[in-house]
Amino acid sequence: MARVPIIQLDDLLIVTILEDIRDHDALALQQDLVEVLQRVSARGVLLDMSVVETIDSFLGRLLSEIAIGARLLGAATVVVGIQPALAITLVELGLELKGIHTALNPRKGMILLRRLIDGESGPGWSRAR
Amino acid sequence: MQDQQAAIITHRRQTISELETPVLQVWEGILALPVIGSLDTARTQQMNETLLQSIVETGSEIVILDITGVPLVDTAVAKHLLETITAARLLGAEVMLVGLSPRIALTLVHLGLDLGDVITRTTMAKGLELAFDRLGLRVVSRHAAPGAADRSPNPA
Repeated sequence: MARVPIIQLDDLLIVTILEDIRDHDALALQQDLVEVLQRVSARGVLLDMSVVETIDSFLGRLLSEIAIGARLLGAATVVVGIQPALAITLVELGLELKGIHTALNPRKGMILLRRLIDGESGPGWSRAR
Repeated sequence: MQDQQAAIITHRRQTISELETPVLQVWEGILALPVIGSLDTARTQQMNETLLQSIVETGSEIVILDITGVPLVDTAVAKHLLETITAARLLGAEVMLVGLSPRIALTLVHLGLDLGDVITRTTMAKGLELAFDRLGLRVVSRHAAPGAADRSPNPA
C-alpha cells in the first residue's frame, strides 16, 4: 500500500512504477495523474518501468489507459525502461501498447518527449501512430 | 545408446539455433539481425531474447531485421516476425524489415498481411541508409568532397 509519487519537473511529470505495484495503487495513480495534469497543465509524462519485472493484463491495459488519458489532456506520454522479459510478456499478452511512445532509458525518453512536445512536425518520429 | 544419440541431436540442434540468430552491431545505435532459415516458435523466442538483450546492452535505437535468408513467409512466420518487432518497439527501438523478395511480398499480400506500420525495404543497404538518416548521419563519398565540383565539369 503505497501511493506512487508524481514528480513535477518544469512542464514534465515523472512517474516511477515500483516493482510490486498493486492494482488499487495503479488505479490511484491513474486518478492522481489526470488530476495533476489538469492542475499544472504539464505537457509530457515520463513513465519509468525499469524496476518492474512482471506485469499482468490489468496493469498492461491500465498503462495504455494512462497514456491515452494523458494525451486527451494534452500531454505526450513516453514509457521508458521496459525490460526484455517484460516486453516479451506484454507481447504474449497481446498488449502492444499501441499509441504509446517508448524509449530505452530515461535519458532517451526525455529527448523523445522534448521532440514530441517541441516539434510535433518532427521528421518521421511519429513511431507510435 | 539411444539416450546418447538423443543427447547428440539435442546438442546439435542447440548449436544450430545459436548459429542461426546472431545479432550484429553494424553502427552505434544500429543493430542488424540477419535471419536465415525458417522461423518457428522456439526459434522466435530465442531470437527475441537475444535481440532484446542486445538492444539493452548496446542502447540501440534501430534494429534492421533482414529476412533475405528466410525462404518462405506464411502466416505463422509473419506472426512471429510481428512479435519480435512489437517487443523491440516496447523497449524503444524502431524495427525495419528488410530483404523482402517480390515473391514474399506477393505472398504476404495474398495472405492479407500488410504488416501494418512496419517500415520495410527491399535490401539491407536501403535499410541501413534509412537508419543512418534517422540517426542524423550521412554517408558521403570522399571523392565528391569539396573541391570536386571545381575539378569536374558542371554536371548540371
